[in-house]
Amino acid sequence: MDENLKIVGKRVIRSDSYAKVTGGALYTADLKLPGMLYAKVLRSPYPHAKILNIDVSKALKVPGVKAAISGFDAYGVKWGVFRYTQDHAMLPTDKVRYIGEDVAAVAAVDEESAIEALSLIKVEYEPLEAVFDPVEAMKDTAPQIHEQYKNNINIHIHIEVGDVDKAMAKAYIVREDTFKAKGEAYAMMEPYAVVASYANGYLDLWMPNAGPHVRAKALSNLLKLPLNRVRVRHINSGGAFGGRSEVAPGDLVASLLSIKSGRPVKLVLTREENAMCSRQVHDIIATVKTGMKKDGTIVAKEYKTIYDGGAYSSTGPIATSIPYYVYEECYRLPNVRYDGYRVFTNKGIRGMYGCHGRAFLAGNEAQMDLMAKELGLDPVEVRLKNGLTAGELTATKSKIISCGLKDTIIQAAEKSDFKKKWKKHTRNKGIGMGCVAIMCGFPMGFRSGSSCYVKINDDGQVTLITGMVDNGQGNESLAVQVASEVLGIPMDDINLVNADTEVTNLDPGSYSQAAAYVGANAVKAACEDARKKIIAIASKKLGVPEEEIDLKDRVAYSVKTPDKRMPISWITREAFFKGEPIVGTGSFFPDIDLEREWVSKPEGQMAGTYSFGTSVAEIEIDEETGKIKVPKFIAAHDCGRPINPMAVEGQMEGSVGQAGIATIFEGNMWYKGFLLNPDLLEYKVPLACDMPDIETIIVSSNDPKGPFGAKEGGLTIRMNAYSAIACAFTNATGMLFEELPLTPDNVLKLLEKNKGGKR
Amino acid sequence: MRKEITFTLNNEEVTVEVEPKWTLLYLLREVLGLTGTKEGCGYGECGACTVIIEGKAVNSCIYPVLEAEGKNITTIEGLSKNGELHVLQKAFIEKGAVQCGFCTPGMIMSAKALLDEKPNPTEDDIKEAIEGNLCRCTGYVMIIDAIKSVAAGR
Repeated sequence: MDENLKIVGKRVIRSDSYAKVTGGALYTADLKLPGMLYAKVLRSPYPHAKILNIDVSKALKVPGVKAAISGFDAYGVKWGVFRYTQDHAMLPTDKVRYIGEDVAAVAAVDEESAIEALSLIKVEYEPLEAVFDPVEAMKDTAPQIHEQYKNNINIHIHIEVGDVDKAMAKAYIVREDTFKAKGEAYAMMEPYAVVASYANGYLDLWMPNAGPHVRAKALSNLLKLPLNRVRVRHINSGGAFGGRSEVAPGDLVASLLSIKSGRPVKLVLTREENAMCSRQVHDIIATVKTGMKKDGTIVAKEYKTIYDGGAYSSTGPIATSIPYYVYEECYRLPNVRYDGYRVFTNKGIRGMYGCHGRAFLAGNEAQMDLMAKELGLDPVEVRLKNGLTAGELTATKSKIISCGLKDTIIQAAEKSDFKKKWKKHTRNKGIGMGCVAIMCGFPMGFRSGSSCYVKINDDGQVTLITGMVDNGQGNESLAVQVASEVLGIPMDDINLVNADTEVTNLDPGSYSQAAAYVGANAVKAACEDARKKIIAIASKKLGVPEEEIDLKDRVAYSVKTPDKRMPISWITREAFFKGEPIVGTGSFFPDIDLEREWVSKPEGQMAGTYSFGTSVAEIEIDEETGKIKVPKFIAAHDCGRPINPMAVEGQMEGSVGQAGIATIFEGNMWYKGFLLNPDLLEYKVPLACDMPDIETIIVSSNDPKGPFGAKEGGLTIRMNAYSAIACAFTNATGMLFEELPLTPDNVLKLLEKNKGGKR
Repeated sequence: MRKEITFTLNNEEVTVEVEPKWTLLYLLREVLGLTGTKEGCGYGECGACTVIIEGKAVNSCIYPVLEAEGKNITTIEGLSKNGELHVLQKAFIEKGAVQCGFCTPGMIMSAKALLDEKPNPTEDDIKEAIEGNLCRCTGYVMIIDAIKSVAAGR
């Protein structure tokens, strides 16, 4: 079947794009339900303070106000992704831990009444000493943000493989450097919004999310409602990038207000609230020590990485691990010691990010280039030498199933004339390369797999039902395209019902890069089940053996005698006559080690497969101003097989902006727990005119278990584009970056140091 | 204190009572139900709320509603004619210029204002025309391709 693909691999137009170009696609803030109220949230003005009292009684007296709540109206349940990280009440009653934390909220017939009512809520605080720097927070003298976490250490991940000390001692060269990076803003174009509607004992919710099932489960816990009473519904999502994976404080706020008032409630965050009070990205300090042989072989790595975790645990153990894992999934690391610390500070709540870990990853890659230079080696050769290949195990014993790393390196190097440019670069110009691997899914218990149902309707058209969710990357269209291939029915004839917890079954969601590999595999399995049933009927009706029948253009036909054919709609009717309508079910559960645990057992099969990628950036530094320009960027990604190459390229190009150009622009700025650049004037997101000339290269390693060979489609560039820029900086200046982003002031400081002879 | 204003919206004359403090975006989304125009920031920085007023691309989130009096205004809902998509809408679909879609309506409106004024823009003209429209998903490559393809096809 793979040899004669009809639609998979073609540049098809996305099934969701028609509604999006007409303005007909609905996002949460567009919803208007009968009797709907508007919510506003009162937020903490303190980074750290005890809550002595919250009085909402006066707010309730404002005309038009229908409900006012605080944490005292909640159920005393705290959220955390893991049992051992449940520390986030979302509406606290003991103390506030960051500026902007949700403290109380009102729902009124209009926004103005809600805003007026907010000003009448009385909260008594007792301010406490706060801590904003993770290194300070780890000291014995620092204020404790949560009683149960000593020295504010939320998570400590310790990984020990081989004998690091012995290997370092024997290494030809050893280098240790420390790299910092400011956390970025997700800056999704859609500010966070949620509509909650509680009626007849059922709570319906709409919000941009990357996993409706985990969202519903979290809310059923927080609200002490049975899971079947919490229904997260489908709605378009204006970007997520990792920031909408977890339940949000606003979800609890809107739900409580709706339960109290008995009316639907809409909460839309402002752009500033979205940056300050929804998720943020971790600031990171990474110390990287590398031992290398004379021939460039990495013999040992030792890491100490500190993640500024903000006020609560969030995805703590995952966030503390991922930057390391995507590196060990790319390179052979025979001896490793990784100590990752996620530390609480009095800053906003943090989450995973599509580009998470730039200090660590760019630091590793830039340091490798400097070491290669010292050894007289070429960075391309060093990467090829240390890069993993199919069949090998990662340091923590996860098998690489299919691997196009080598091809991405070679093709990106050739296309950019890398070796020549790297060796003979002109003053203040440089070229750099970054590589990484990405796990397609990771262990999430029984939520690691996906299920799908498909029914063939009486007119031969199809309804596809899957938990897969789309945050803009094209997962919906991906599901429809895969179904179209298997069933021989055009994409236009396939209706998709997805990301609705009532009608769809479990799916890992779109935040673990599992959509293409896991979700689409379940779609494929369900459609193959239906296909078999269609073919069985066709075989009888046409008098042709089943193995001779193929489905194409809404028709079942004999491959040997194509005249023998009948429309699938006839077959469907036949099935109805028999009282056996054609319904297919299918699921996919990746081959992963479910015993693997982030803290207690960081070993075993991490994911069903891995994608690989290489970025190459060329930069020019203006010595006078410190400004970096990126004229050219080449991105090569091994996605197994592109289901829709246009969508994969789109992901790669977006990543060049969000991770690559971000390296010279983006970083959150803080003053005593106050986010200084929460808006899009102060926080610079790349514009069209900031983008380099981009070339994308798709490498197909044809994964043995991926649907039609597919793996995730483009995230590697999101996690190596900054490395390419950082390495290009090293190539241009002979020095390593110290902190990202490489803004002009930062660059000038480094250039000044360089003049001081530290070259 | 409400005031009545009359203007042309998507080729139809509209008379509506407004509060002077409203923005045009508020009128479009909350009163007239035209939610295709999005609010991404509320202070004229992201371009998600772009509409065309008298031929110019304008951020409707900072456009005082009373200024709409007598003006000719087009929103994303006014682009397709008799169910037929505008060439720019078609190009955005065909060139893969749409991902999450939140910036798309504003982006298309900025592109339309450009092409109406300058049917054969250079690539720099295109980049300039959409420099007030932020996109976090696409890296702008396919958006620029889509706009170029329409310009070339004329």
